[in-house]
Amino acid sequence: MVVGEFTQEVDVLVIGAGPGGYVAAIRAAQLGKSVTVVDKGNLGGVCLNVGCIPSKALISAAEFYERSKQSPFPGVNTQAELDFAKVMEWKQSVVEKMTSGVKTLFKGNKINFVQGEAFFSKADEVRVMKEHESERYKFQHCIIATGSRPIELKSLPYGKRVITSTEALSLDHLPESLVVVGGGYIGIELGQTFAKFGSKVTIIEGTKSILPTFDPQAVRLVQRNLKKLGVEVVTEAFAQGVEEREDGVTLTYKAGDAEKSVQAEYVLVTVGRRPNTDELGLESIGVKLSDKGLIEVDEQCRTSVPNIYAIGDIVAGPALAHKASYEGKVAAEVIAGKKSAVDYRCIPSVVFSDPEIASVGLSEEEAKEQYGEVATGRFPYAANGRAVALNASDGYIKLVADKKSGLLVGAQVIGHEASNLIAELGLAIEMSATLEDIALTIHAHPTLGEMVMEASEVALGSPIHIVSK
Amino acid sequence: MGVYAFRLPELGEGLHEGRLEKWLVKPGDTVQEDDALAEIENDKTMVELPSPVAGKVLELKVEEGATAVVGDILLTFEVEGEGNAAETADTPAAHASDAGVQGAGLESVTASVKKESQAAPETPAQTPAAVQDGAPGAELASHAHEVLATPGVRKYARENGVDITKVRGTGNNGKVTKEDVDAYLRGGQASAPAAAAPEAALGATARAQAPAGAPAVSASYNEALEERQPLPNIRKLIAQAMARSAYTAPHVTVMDEADVTQLVQLRKEIKPLAEERGVKVSYLPFIVKAMVAALKKHPVLNSSLDEEKQELVLKKYYHIGIATDTDRGLLVPVIRDADRKSMWTIAEEINDLATRARENKLGPQEIRGSTISITNIGSVGGMFFTPIINYPEVAILGVGRITERPIMKDGEVVGAQMLALSLSFDHRVVDGALAQRFINEIKRLLENPRLLLMEV
Repeated sequence: MVVGEFTQEVDVLVIGAGPGGYVAAIRAAQLGKSVTVVDKGNLGGVCLNVGCIPSKALISAAEFYERSKQSPFPGVNTQAELDFAKVMEWKQSVVEKMTSGVKTLFKGNKINFVQGEAFFSKADEVRVMKEHESERYKFQHCIIATGSRPIELKSLPYGKRVITSTEALSLDHLPESLVVVGGGYIGIELGQTFAKFGSKVTIIEGTKSILPTFDPQAVRLVQRNLKKLGVEVVTEAFAQGVEEREDGVTLTYKAGDAEKSVQAEYVLVTVGRRPNTDELGLESIGVKLSDKGLIEVDEQCRTSVPNIYAIGDIVAGPALAHKASYEGKVAAEVIAGKKSAVDYRCIPSVVFSDPEIASVGLSEEEAKEQYGEVATGRFPYAANGRAVALNASDGYIKLVADKKSGLLVGAQVIGHEASNLIAELGLAIEMSATLEDIALTIHAHPTLGEMVMEASEVALGSPIHIVSK
Repeated sequence: MGVYAFRLPELGEGLHEGRLEKWLVKPGDTVQEDDALAEIENDKTMVELPSPVAGKVLELKVEEGATAVVGDILLTFEVEGEGNAAETADTPAAHASDAGVQGAGLESVTASVKKESQAAPETPAQTPAAVQDGAPGAELASHAHEVLATPGVRKYARENGVDITKVRGTGNNGKVTKEDVDAYLRGGQASAPAAAAPEAALGATARAQAPAGAPAVSASYNEALEERQPLPNIRKLIAQAMARSAYTAPHVTVMDEADVTQLVQLRKEIKPLAEERGVKVSYLPFIVKAMVAALKKHPVLNSSLDEEKQELVLKKYYHIGIATDTDRGLLVPVIRDADRKSMWTIAEEINDLATRARENKLGPQEIRGSTISITNIGSVGGMFFTPIINYPEVAILGVGRITERPIMKDGEVVGAQMLALSLSFDHRVVDGALAQRFINEIKRLLENPRLLLMEV
């Protein structure tokens, strides 16, 4: 036995303190289990520390700054001034508020938090390497919730000037220029944000369009706003390599046959994330992985080793915090003997671009494939009183329903507060609501939510506030 | 060496599922044929499952507390010879067999279920659930995309061990409601849709007649100081039966006292005889006999009301239910054909049934079919009370304790042994005067036990 090593016994060991792990831990504790959570980083994982929360803080600040530079309300004259370091300080205070909230919740639920790296030594034991010592934890059940990390491109090794989203969210000054490699949702959110703060931003995307998996009509609205901000978008372009200098970096890329280069203070690489399943010793205890490195689980989140569960980015499905939290609750409940299952009809997804894009359920094409005939209803922000009064009349809501039954099967919202509007539509799908149910639900006036009701009426053929063709 | 898969056998007529209360073996144990493997609770009884083979236990396939359906594999054995390995493959059809159990012949039904599930557009499992050993039952799988039901109803089905794809939805677009799951649980759905309706309606009536405006139990102001316990099957059944009786039959209770001084004396005289025979004789056999005699005189008390046909069903047999207190709750074992049995036999039967009720060893046939019941709280004290009728019977006799008290007799104060009697009756069928006449007859016989001789 190594000096300073001892074994502790716990009911439930959770590896990872992100939105999957901490939620699982709290639910397990609520159900009477003794719970220990291990994470090599801080409470809250990527989401709270270097992901969702800090990025949304910066997006809000950038949005306000940009609108203040040129007030959208005639007669309201504004002047904007940016102290980037102060903004970052505030962003950090937001992060600390949220993580200390989790800390309080852990305390209240008597959950033990251990900072260290976990490694499976047996199917019922992990070794946790802390800074100066290691400990062993023997568990009855384990939930793996280790999340994901940014993929590193061989041609663009991370360094001082080639950075991931984590570093981009913690820069100590506003970069004069920034190249974003990868036009997915993280690249667009951050690229647009820095552009709003005033950086010169170039986005390099490999496919034909940025945000390739989203509705082209929605993407066009984002592209228009990027153009207004002076963001250069290069599509069907592939990064070849970088040359880092003390004061900047040169990125070479191939567009068509031509080799081109672009200079910037930083290159931000956002080409996707990979599951953190490679450094846990999973193979040695027989936890089955797919060829993509994802852990195979059943509908109770159980892996091929029955007392070990896995949730979040390391299992199949979209890598989203809210999906991880849902699965975390299921895994904890199953461990506590409840008959829970991963059993959802839909998961909403949101891009905090400008304008925001949110979708839930099936797209029109997917719905056609599944249901044959579909009914769709599209209602523009421009026809909604609240949207116009907000000076935010770009965008639309689109609903997709099964024509025969009228059941809502999918929805897309593009525009101001799309991220909040999508919630009602996810509920409608889970509750098996029909277009009629939505149209007959009174929505408060004047609100953006009225558009949901109006879009249903469009699909039913009798909208009030637009003339149906 | 072969592998033998043991499937849940039929536990009794019409019993198609049971809750696995407790495993009595664990993997690695060697068992002999007929050794007890597990305790299964169904309906109102607890039965021990005997092993059909001798061998070594390989794997327990059902967790304690889970509900298994006839045909589900409960555990596997390693046995000498071939076993029945071919059947061990835990196919989805085996899990789906709950759809079939409402039918009578299990074999043929399982076959048809197999066909059905093959024809159904099974989505290929993206998860290893299907390939993993001990894969969860169909009720634990995700059916969000196959079935229209709200998340709460899907959860409710899972918690009750129901494969929601088997439930017929009555809501818009075939949406499955909580009531549909309940109806399926009661077994009314699918097998006999016609019968399901009145039963569902009955449930609805029962709820509708519950006091309106009562605060929901689920609303709590102090959860921290409360504990929530899941209801055991037997408690659920008692709750259902009591509510159904109380909300269906308008109850009235008549109360009276009998001077049983002579009976107490008689029992004292019998005691040595009883000891010789090794039988414990309580007052219950006398009360049973007196009641049977009174029933013969007033046959309406030994009947049931067929509401649908608006007919009274008068029973020409006398099966007396004896409410018995057990650790798990109230059970009502039945003395069948009490009119044709001697008091000795009845005494023996009461003792035997009560003992086995407390040990959870009653067979399902022993707790059904009573025509009227007796409930005795006297053994723990108490006098008058208002018992709930064991519906669809129309009356129940509540027996209190015997107390020695001074009473006035022929102008003099004398000591007497007084027995408290409470008779609840269904006022739809029986009127107050008749009920009193019935209790008078019982009184008369208990007060003059010699008269009982004529009834033996």
